[in-house]
Amino acid sequence: MTEESPGTLRETTPPTDTSTDAESAQVPPPADESGTRAGEGPSRVRPSGLAEAADALATAAGERRTVLFEGAGTALNWGAPVAGTGLVLETSGLDRLISHAPEDWTVGVEAGMPLTRLQELLAPAGQWLPVDPPTGSRGATLGGLLACGDAGPRRLKYGGLADLVIGATLVLADGTVARTGGDVIKNVAGYDLVKLIAGSLGAFGLVARLNLRVHPLPAATTTLAVAVDDADRALSAARAVMRSPLEPVAIEWDGQQLLIRFQGTEESAAARGRLAPEVPGLEDARVLDAEAERAAWERLSGLVRGEDGETVLRAGTHPARLPALTRRLREVTEGTGVEAAVVSGVAQGLHTVVLRGGEASEHAACLTAWREAVHEAGGSVTLRRRRHGVDAAAASWGPAPPAVSVLRSLKRQFDPDDRCAPGRFAPWF
Amino acid sequence: MIDTALRREFEAALGADSVLTDPLQLRTYECDGLTGFREVPALVVLPRSTEEVAAAVSLCAKAGLPFVARGAGTGLSGGAVPVAQGVVISLARMRQVLDFDPDDRRMVLQPGVTNAEISRVAAPHGLYYAPDPSSQVVCTIGGNVAENSGGAHCVKYGFTVHHVTALRVVLPDGSVAELGGDAPESAGPDLRGLFIGSEGTLGIATEITVRLLRTPESVRTLVADFPTVEAAGEAVSGIMASGIVPAAVEMLDALAIEACEAAVNAGYSLDATAALVVELDGMEHECDEQFEKVVALCHEKGTTNVRIADTAEERALIWKGRKAAFAAVGRISPDYFVQDGVVPRTRLSEALSRIAAMSGAEGLRVANVFHAGDGNLHPLVLFDEQAGEAERAEKLAAEIAEMCVELGGSLSGEHGIGLDKACSMPEMFGETDLAVMRQLRAAFDPEGIANPGKVLPTPRLCGEAPGRYRPHPLEAAGVIERL
Repeated sequence: MTEESPGTLRETTPPTDTSTDAESAQVPPPADESGTRAGEGPSRVRPSGLAEAADALATAAGERRTVLFEGAGTALNWGAPVAGTGLVLETSGLDRLISHAPEDWTVGVEAGMPLTRLQELLAPAGQWLPVDPPTGSRGATLGGLLACGDAGPRRLKYGGLADLVIGATLVLADGTVARTGGDVIKNVAGYDLVKLIAGSLGAFGLVARLNLRVHPLPAATTTLAVAVDDADRALSAARAVMRSPLEPVAIEWDGQQLLIRFQGTEESAAARGRLAPEVPGLEDARVLDAEAERAAWERLSGLVRGEDGETVLRAGTHPARLPALTRRLREVTEGTGVEAAVVSGVAQGLHTVVLRGGEASEHAACLTAWREAVHEAGGSVTLRRRRHGVDAAAASWGPAPPAVSVLRSLKRQFDPDDRCAPGRFAPWF
Repeated sequence: MIDTALRREFEAALGADSVLTDPLQLRTYECDGLTGFREVPALVVLPRSTEEVAAAVSLCAKAGLPFVARGAGTGLSGGAVPVAQGVVISLARMRQVLDFDPDDRRMVLQPGVTNAEISRVAAPHGLYYAPDPSSQVVCTIGGNVAENSGGAHCVKYGFTVHHVTALRVVLPDGSVAELGGDAPESAGPDLRGLFIGSEGTLGIATEITVRLLRTPESVRTLVADFPTVEAAGEAVSGIMASGIVPAAVEMLDALAIEACEAAVNAGYSLDATAALVVELDGMEHECDEQFEKVVALCHEKGTTNVRIADTAEERALIWKGRKAAFAAVGRISPDYFVQDGVVPRTRLSEALSRIAAMSGAEGLRVANVFHAGDGNLHPLVLFDEQAGEAERAEKLAAEIAEMCVELGGSLSGEHGIGLDKACSMPEMFGETDLAVMRQLRAAFDPEGIANPGKVLPTPRLCGEAPGRYRPHPLEAAGVIERL
């Protein structure tokens, strides 16, 4: 908690005013069709430091306002729609580099810093944060990426952002400032509160600062593409690569082709590209040149991000479930105007499904039916984007997880008045 | 208080052969690997399944009895020390591999399976489990989950939390919950990650799903001797700055080398002031290319001798020496404490100099063997209890841990806070930070019966923990009084 007693919130935009305030105008509106649009209602604040952020939340608590945290706005509508936002807290003013110790492989940043900016700052030291989420090129911030648990294809080798966070400073719903973890890459002292924020979609508080482990920037990458239009063959080819000594950093299948990425020294990345066609299922693989490689991965990111008018789901299952779930997806869309596309991190069991075309009611029906199949297969689904009108006909979440009592209990402890992103996980809590 | 009626309820739920009440048997469980803390439990139960663990915990919850889960008891921070008049839930009988899917590279385990056993079962499929604490032949995956264990190879491969995808847990009210899921991402906050490393204070993991990695095509290992600790430290910095991610970088000082040689005869040079064990793994071609660089770097930083393991047997011997270090110290000292602090890697030399000075001032020897790649120190404070040195040794160990925090590091890199360092937590975290951690704990365990007294400091703990009396920092500062 800050020393100062909370005052009235200094808002960047009055509640009913579509202001032309330069700072506020730079904040993109929610990218989805079902969210609250900038300027339509809630007040907005843009703290420029930790103390201001804590002050803003303490004040909001005093005024009993609900709060939505907004970074670049690329994932504002993941999960269930937030009801009744009283205040939007923009994190774009929390974007400073706090520390960088290249020899210790650590960096400290404010959480509103965009990932791309951090990569620019690390590159001169020959380092990077090894995450490549699809929203990165859209300005996604580190805090936002942590809160939505988003990750890109290279999760296969490096894990998600939460796996690289070694410490954090959080601001809870009442303005309490709490530190967790530390500044060193190995540390098990105390509870890891970062994990409470990871995947929480803003429902458990604000992450204001992050300490991260960085990695040496790989000298080179090589991507292979091989035409595969069948889920069984995609799965078996991916498994063959994983069994090989080639150590892929990413394997993704988009329904038409399998993309496999390697990285290392110039020589070893090239060598991997040359050796890969010896792997069963990759006989016809071709090495992409630098431009084609960039284009192929950007195209995949675009598919996963989705566009207005589309419904996007993210599912996690055992990798082996891919063929059955792909068949089921065809069944549930058959006879409708909906076209379904799949992008699957096939070696990890992470599947993004994009529904396009057709009516909102058809999207809702496909979403519900396919999600049911995923849950029956032991997995879970997060709704990331939906066509306008889908919310009226489909629940945002599937069955509550078995640990829902713990989630409710945590919410009572950390946000007893349900002011952070209320309704985000409805009806779970 | 456990009366006859309650004991019978435990026997009815788990079977009479799963409930120990004999005082002699109970004493077996009075401490873990940190033998300075001892407390005989009122009862020990030995469940065989999740259901039996849940039944035992439910009885504890109903009676308001504190319980402590225990694996092999190898913990070095007193995390499994029983609570007075409490129950120990030993997971020693839960040793089954429940499921193994080599294609999806996952294994589901009961908590009593040893760490090394996982890799032994996976090996025929070209797979292994990466986290490798030095006690891996004995320590259990349940204990690894509780402590978020690391090991020599975690500088490249990460900790337990990076390799466990799902948990079935018994919560402190006796209910069973699933945390995590079948894939690396599952819907909602990461309760799996929250639970791992919580030292038994949020519940008991009864089924653990781990991900397995492909056994690297090539592994190259060397031991490099250095005339000074500083020179070895510079070699470490050089390797880490080179763009190479080594699988392991370990350091031993002269006293640790002496102890290892006395115990294992691993072939370390007895005349070296410091030795580095460096290992690279990966694709053969790349591994060879980078290994040459590492050898050159060691020479550049003044190594006096580089020994490269030519065979798997030689590599195994080098690691046997390193991993036996803790136990080996028993050969050169009647008693010792293993400390587990972390410093930023760039401050390793400073930390070692200060440890040497503190050791001299206290008149106690300190051997150093540690994970240099990630700054995780393991100073071994040698003492003789019979000579009345225990208290000084304990004080020196605590001071070393707190010095690590002062240098920007952590109280623990892999052994946990447990009972041992709970009272040092205010050195690292503020009152608000600790209060928020208490809130987290209360969300899982509102009655405070799951391994109470561990991780977080309380005046009660610091005043009344088993072993020597320790004033709480607030008490020492005159803010509170001990009644």
